[in-house]
Amino acid sequence: MKPFGISAFQPRLKVLNRDQAWAIHTAALEIIEKIGFRMEHPDALEILANAGCKVSGDNWVTMPAYLVEEVLRSAPRRIALYDQMGNKSMALVDGNPFYGTGSDATFTLDLETGQRRRTVLEDVANFAKLVDALENMDFAMSMANPEDVPLEDIYLHVFAEMVRNTSKPIVFIADSGRDIAKIYEIACLVAGGEEELRKRPFILNYSEAISPLRFPKNVMEKLIFCAEKGIPLCLPSGSNAAGGAPVTLAGAMALGIAENLIGLTVHQLVGRGSPFLFGPNVSALDMKSTVVSYGCPEWSLTQAALADMRDEIYGLPIWAYAGASDAKIMDAQAGAEAMFSIITAMLSRSNLIHDVGFLEYGTTSSLEMVTMANELVAMSRFFAGGIPINEDTMALEAIERVAKGTGTIFLMDDHTFDHFEQALFLPNLLDRSRYDAWEKAGRMDLYARCNSEAKRILSQHRVETKPEEVLKGIESILKGS
Amino acid sequence: MGNFTALNEAVIKGDVQTAVAETQKALDASQEVRGIIDNGLIAAMDEVGERFSKGQLFVPQMLRSAKTMQACMNLLKPHLQEGETTTKGIVVIGTVKGDLHDIGKNLVSMMLEGAGFEIEDLGVDVAPEEFARKVREVNADILGMSALLSITMPAMAETVKVLRNSGIRDTLKVMIGGAPVTEKYAQEIQADSYAPDAASAVVEAKKLLGIS
Repeated sequence: MKPFGISAFQPRLKVLNRDQAWAIHTAALEIIEKIGFRMEHPDALEILANAGCKVSGDNWVTMPAYLVEEVLRSAPRRIALYDQMGNKSMALVDGNPFYGTGSDATFTLDLETGQRRRTVLEDVANFAKLVDALENMDFAMSMANPEDVPLEDIYLHVFAEMVRNTSKPIVFIADSGRDIAKIYEIACLVAGGEEELRKRPFILNYSEAISPLRFPKNVMEKLIFCAEKGIPLCLPSGSNAAGGAPVTLAGAMALGIAENLIGLTVHQLVGRGSPFLFGPNVSALDMKSTVVSYGCPEWSLTQAALADMRDEIYGLPIWAYAGASDAKIMDAQAGAEAMFSIITAMLSRSNLIHDVGFLEYGTTSSLEMVTMANELVAMSRFFAGGIPINEDTMALEAIERVAKGTGTIFLMDDHTFDHFEQALFLPNLLDRSRYDAWEKAGRMDLYARCNSEAKRILSQHRVETKPEEVLKGIESILKGS
Repeated sequence: MGNFTALNEAVIKGDVQTAVAETQKALDASQEVRGIIDNGLIAAMDEVGERFSKGQLFVPQMLRSAKTMQACMNLLKPHLQEGETTTKGIVVIGTVKGDLHDIGKNLVSMMLEGAGFEIEDLGVDVAPEEFARKVREVNADILGMSALLSITMPAMAETVKVLRNSGIRDTLKVMIGGAPVTEKYAQEIQADSYAPDAASAVVEAKKLLGIS
């Protein structure tokens, strides 16, 4: 009889115990029930009032906690995102991390000059194309607020540009119910119709409530639109410590979670079972510059805590960030901060992890950063995989062959040849060459290597072209706006 | 001139109780009000600003000092001569139309107030006409506008236009700020100044009004 195999322990980070998780959840419910929130969308107000919430003057609402418990049961525990060809590519469920870029950067580091400059539409294309090519980047966001498109339709134009330049899923921003409807039109064209898009969504909307506890009309328009159409959505308010939220992380988390639960409630009341990606952004304001930090340990810690709360309580896939930095250039700080958040997001099993490739606290995007992060994700993935234990990996026969044999070495052994690609992490950009070889190759640092790799990819990678009628349809939607 | 070491230290530390007590003591000793303000409070705030720019103080400490100074000022105001002013200038401030974000704007308000400016905060989602009306009403020296969303930035240009059409553009200085705002944008819409953060907003405001 064959013996049972030993399952491999896959390293996983826990930062909260059960009591802590429930204490934060209970505090969030108390915020919803006792403090209340400002809801500025008339339909949402009516829906909440009909469901048993108390609405007082000035759009202030308090909500019974049982409503929240109820909608937590109707929200799907698994969200599948598809690529633009209709293949399932991201199963957002406990344990699966997926990485991608961020949105709305004012500046980018120019690939040719290395200078920080205002972003243009071509940058959106380049980032989307880079994501399309990189193995460990799973979805695209715009990475730019281009200055060369009409501002009132900026999100529509960047969405169209992403569609033209990647086949991977897209996480998109919209301003209100007006532009999201047009973005949806484009998405339907790509997916082959409304029903197809609902069945195989390749888009996810990112919207934000305003901390503390404010739900603006335009934000709720988008949320209601997505709930009705079955478009996956996340609603991470910026409940950053000492910014939109109290300085202590427990309170900041409770507030951000309360805001998410409120959003989720309206969402599920509008569209039962529509997909809602859970989780706030809880970073911290820097106490000197007051920027919202993108490289701080606080953000990584709160999202690891959120992952624990998912495991203990919510069961919903969660939103997260990683691979970004507060550094102004891609230097050692950028590398350190990017790796810190990438590995912790992986180890805590965050699900949809955005903002990869940001510098300057999210103000500047960098193609080189994305290229580097791709490798750091691979490195983290290797680590998180743990050590598989079985007869093959224990390799006692190989040990015997080499130990007893003469003149042979492990490098020569067939066991090495058969296993090295899975057994070891094989870096591409992280340099392990001997000194002389490194010097001869031009003494390039990681930034320089990522720069040339990004250039190579952009010149060589071919994105699957969309059918002519889809491209024409997009053009006419853009022109009609 | 009296000795303001204890008051200075209390303001720098953000010790409201001691600072107020020291201010009262100075008043009781018939110190000149102007002197208490200049040498007791403003001198301390200058020191706070200095330490902050060197990275020796953090924002919450600076804001506490500003709060401390305000508490002392409230005590002193009734003792000022008629027509005597304590303000460095009047600033009308708000987040522009369509934008509901106010953390950065509030921080700028508090810092300007701490530096001795009088603040007229219109809140969020402020229409160009509302800015213009308030500017005229209080005879503002500076108009400060904030935007977090790039899509709401054009409201800044719109406001400048409304000021110009109302014939009051040249009576005041316009300052703008917020995450998507750049120096270049400030020039494009013919604002007078752009401040990338709250601390530099204070520096810029002083510069605009020719105050050291």
